[in-house]
Amino acid sequence: MIVIKKVSKSFGNYMALNEIDLEIATGDTVGLAGPSGSGKSTLLRCIQGLEVPDSGVISCSGRPGFMFQDFQLFPHMTVWENILYAPTTRKFLPQSLLEIKASELLLHLGVEQFKDRYPAGLSGGQKQRVALARTLIFNPDILLCDEPTSGLDVATTRDVAVLLKSIQRQKTTVIIASHDLDFLMQISHRIILLKNGGIASDIEPQKLANPIEYLKKLYE
Amino acid sequence: MSPVEMFSFIGRGAGITLQLLAGGLFIGFSLGTVLAVWRYRGSGRWFVVAYVSIIRGTPLLLQLSLIYFTLPIVLKIRLSTIAAGAIALGINSAAYMAEILRSGIESLSRGQFEAAKTLGISPFYAWKDIILPQVLRNIFPALTGEVIALLKETALISVIGGADIMRRAQMVTAESFTYFTPLCMAGACYYILVLSIEISAKRLGKKMRHDCY
Repeated sequence: MIVIKKVSKSFGNYMALNEIDLEIATGDTVGLAGPSGSGKSTLLRCIQGLEVPDSGVISCSGRPGFMFQDFQLFPHMTVWENILYAPTTRKFLPQSLLEIKASELLLHLGVEQFKDRYPAGLSGGQKQRVALARTLIFNPDILLCDEPTSGLDVATTRDVAVLLKSIQRQKTTVIIASHDLDFLMQISHRIILLKNGGIASDIEPQKLANPIEYLKKLYE
Repeated sequence: MSPVEMFSFIGRGAGITLQLLAGGLFIGFSLGTVLAVWRYRGSGRWFVVAYVSIIRGTPLLLQLSLIYFTLPIVLKIRLSTIAAGAIALGINSAAYMAEILRSGIESLSRGQFEAAKTLGISPFYAWKDIILPQVLRNIFPALTGEVIALLKETALISVIGGADIMRRAQMVTAESFTYFTPLCMAGACYYILVLSIEISAKRLGKKMRHDCY
């Protein structure tokens, strides 16, 4: 469960989040939509703790994991090292178990054959999967994804949706910030439209006849 | 003294020159790294700004003289010319290295720091294994330039009597009453050392790039 109460965040004169109130149930997949500068990424970053809200409270029951828009893999480490470095230094699990888990994740995400490659030798979709593996190795209770499909082609975007659906089945709470309404529609239980730092709409797409049209109207 | 004997005599000063370079590099790089990281994240960064400003704003010869002539009196210790030279070169080089490292750190994506943070990597490991290895790759050409500059600055040790390449060339000029040949030979020695550093750095740089792709 994530509870966000009256959270505000500004950068100089620019108000990125304006008294946001939100509750997200455990296991839900929530899409954050909205135009550029609407506060989607800032909200995710506040939940992760990368930004400190100016006011308000965020409480999360569970460990969050964060996926960056541009993946932020460590370029001087191989795929294998990228996945194992953090849990190894944190002694998250015994090394042998970590290696088994990393192998399983790479296999599940379809990038096992690239484990000795450096990020520079991977495509956008492959980097996305490696970044996902690096986050999932910690079994996060909450997965925060910032624009997970930005720069990806249609087929890879579809693959990312399939992957995120497989994470939903593990009762992980997933929050995705994205411009891509079609993508959000495929995987979200709930879509929250942010505009000018506030919540403009909070819908359950299954309950609307034409949710994309509805959201697009609000976008304008 | 035949030209061969002359070159051999001057060339033997390379040992002292290289010792000074190694000492100065060790102190300069270690201290420069601490200063750069301190300036980036620590409180009291005014100290780093002041250190860099003062060291870069005063002549190395003055710093060397201060360390060689006054440090033994203040600390009541005996300092050899090589130790004094290495300390002075290190303290001086640290200011330049700190600035080079700072530019490298600032050029790195903020996301790399954030990725380390979100993965729960401690600041020590994040700097040691994530940030600094990338920074070193990025600043490698500038760092090579600083090593070469440091090598040439070791010649200042001759002022306090260290028998490096330059000092030995001066000894030959005093003995043979000729300047041109011994100074050209000293120049050739320095040039050979600089070329060796450049070639090694090029190979190392290529290997570093190759390792990431």
